[in-house]
Amino acid sequence: MIDVLSYLFFGVGIFFWFWGTSHLVGKRSVLFKLHSLSVADTLGSILIVIGLLIKIPSRWPLLTLAIISLAIWNTMLGYVLAHCSSDEAENQKEFPTETL
Amino acid sequence: MNLLLIAMIAAMLIPMYQALKDDDIWQKMLALGSISSKAGIMTLFISVLRDDWMIGAVGAIILTVGNAGLMLLAHIIKRMDDL
Repeated sequence: MIDVLSYLFFGVGIFFWFWGTSHLVGKRSVLFKLHSLSVADTLGSILIVIGLLIKIPSRWPLLTLAIISLAIWNTMLGYVLAHCSSDEAENQKEFPTETL
Repeated sequence: MNLLLIAMIAAMLIPMYQALKDDDIWQKMLALGSISSKAGIMTLFISVLRDDWMIGAVGAIILTVGNAGLMLLAHIIKRMDDL
């Protein structure tokens, strides 16, 4: 039963990975790809790590650390990439161009 | 479990192809960010297969510091664009 459940999590996680990367190949804008990619990558990866957690509960500290760091850092990377890739003037507050 | 690993490797090849093909720096950064988190998860997966938890610690470090490094790189590219 445990094996079936963990394989189910692995399958759904890998499906999310393929679904996210399929958007990457298309000809869409950066922000559209970023959204589908960060959702798919973060969610898919967390499901895979939960599958690992079910399979080997004895190593829960390390796997919980991986889940937390995934949830925080992957989301934060999505925000930073969205902020840096956008060209609108309202994003230029930190470094007004005349000071550069 | 090996079949799952092969599927993960296949899932990682797509962003690599995308990073190779695309000229826009931000599309390339997207692909590289995707590769880094997938590589971290695969490292964790392999550490479960081999039951060697030093590799697992490396996987957790990749997930944290890898994404942090990409964020710094994104800010550097943004400043270079402003010049």
